[in-house]
Amino acid sequence: MTAVRTYFSDVFMGLWTALVGMSITLRYLFSKPVTEMYPDVKPRTPTRYRGIHVFEEEKCIGCYVCAKACPVDCIEIGVVRKGKEIKITKFDIDYQKCMFCDLCCEPCPAHCIHMGPEFEKASFTRKGTILQFATPKTLTEEEKKVEKVARK
Amino acid sequence: MSELAAVLPGVLEKAGWSVPGGLVPVLAMFICASIVAAAMGLSAAVLVWAERKLAGHFQCRLGPVYVGGKFGWLQSIADGIKLLLKEDIIPADADRPLFRLAPYLVVLGVFLAFIAFPVSEKLMVADLNIGIFFILAVLTLEVFGVILAGWASNNKWALLGAMRAAAQMVSYEIPMGLAILPVVVEAQSLSLKSIVAAQSGGMLRWYVFQPPFFMGVSFLIFFLAGLASLKRAPFDLPEAESELTAGFHTEYSGMRFSFFFMAEYAGMILVSGLAAALYLGGWHGILPGQSGAMWFLLKTAFLVFVMIWLRWTLPRLRIDQVVYVGWKVLTPFVLACVLGQALMAYK
Ligand code: SF4
Ligand code: SF4
Repeated sequence: MTAVRTYFSDVFMGLWTALVGMSITLRYLFSKPVTEMYPDVKPRTPTRYRGIHVFEEEKCIGCYVCAKACPVDCIEIGVVRKGKEIKITKFDIDYQKCMFCDLCCEPCPAHCIHMGPEFEKASFTRKGTILQFATPKTLTEEEKKVEKVARK
Repeated sequence: MSELAAVLPGVLEKAGWSVPGGLVPVLAMFICASIVAAAMGLSAAVLVWAERKLAGHFQCRLGPVYVGGKFGWLQSIADGIKLLLKEDIIPADADRPLFRLAPYLVVLGVFLAFIAFPVSEKLMVADLNIGIFFILAVLTLEVFGVILAGWASNNKWALLGAMRAAAQMVSYEIPMGLAILPVVVEAQSLSLKSIVAAQSGGMLRWYVFQPPFFMGVSFLIFFLAGLASLKRAPFDLPEAESELTAGFHTEYSGMRFSFFFMAEYAGMILVSGLAAALYLGGWHGILPGQSGAMWFLLKTAFLVFVMIWLRWTLPRLRIDQVVYVGWKVLTPFVLACVLGQALMAYK
């Protein structure tokens, strides 16, 4: 007798569970799609998103602290000092190495390096992934001599 | 078709073409065949788009959005062009003639079945007096095509898929055929036209809603068995992507592949249309007195929607579960329905 009962309850449960599943999928059919139309509509990155760095050159004092803090040595800084005048000649970050850990931004005494919202920096060449943040400057011969380039 | 053959000479005369009288029926046949073929291709294209779009929305996605404007209208045209341009590959070890024959057999079965497809009172190619029997008979041709495809590909996945298809389609032919019997008993006819005509007079006269619901249950069984014989999810074992690459059509590419594809979608329309005609009153509307091809197409579209809905709801069954459901659930239930309906007719 139990076998018969199991058989019929199985048949019933088979139909019933299919109906329950269908009601769930029907609800999803009319819910709002979660698709982001990415290349057409750029997504808003959340605040504190750790993307490509934002560098404020005019505030930077060329202290190398960020480069020292970086665990993977991917920041390369070039500085020319002349008395009180500071020229940042080079501020390159190698995004092949960078792991967006934010450790470079925290110790900066001038608060001039931040994690930004940008993320579309893919490149077809290895060189293309090294981003140069400092505005290019032409250096005089004398300046070239005193330029200090540091990677940690 | 006979009506077309009757009006054709007049039309031809107006157009100024003289056609010998003997050729008129041939011409009418040709026209009907082209219409069926075009309708099949078109509806398959629309369905592929609808399925992708619905599949997307069922999963909170959008489906195609780029090709042809906002809703991706032209997606299936683009797919079609892509399939046409693909290289037609025949594996070196395949059995060439059989390999080539298989897709045609598959399409042929579905195509032939459309001959007795009752869109409306006037709009059917031929009102065969054994219409429903004929459709079931030619639909079995599809199994041959599938088995041939699997065998001739000389590929283990294809063969496994074909064997599953054979096991599944053969076991589901039986409940499918039997599910039709209560309707035939009630309508006292095998012709789809008279079966639909017997259901005129509003929704409550449709066979699904006839107490004591022998036909309602057999409608469910017919629909499920139809799903299985179409190899649609949750019965899509013959082409189970995750296990068998693409099942019986693993080795097919380009146009030959698209034949299998087209046959599947045309088959969906066919089974939905048959279910609509047999159980849901065909071209009769919800209220008494309403009728027209519109109603039939609406019901068919709804059933096709349910098929797509089921596919994106249920996971694939195991082969033993499929055979279990076929032999141990559907068949006894449908036999009980046939018996009950027959006893009711006898009294
Ligand atoms: S985010 Fe981390 S890895 Fe990237 S530059 Fe800063 S410290 Fe280095
Ligand atoms: S820590 Fe800040 S101020 Fe010092 S070099 Fe780096 S960015 Fe410039």
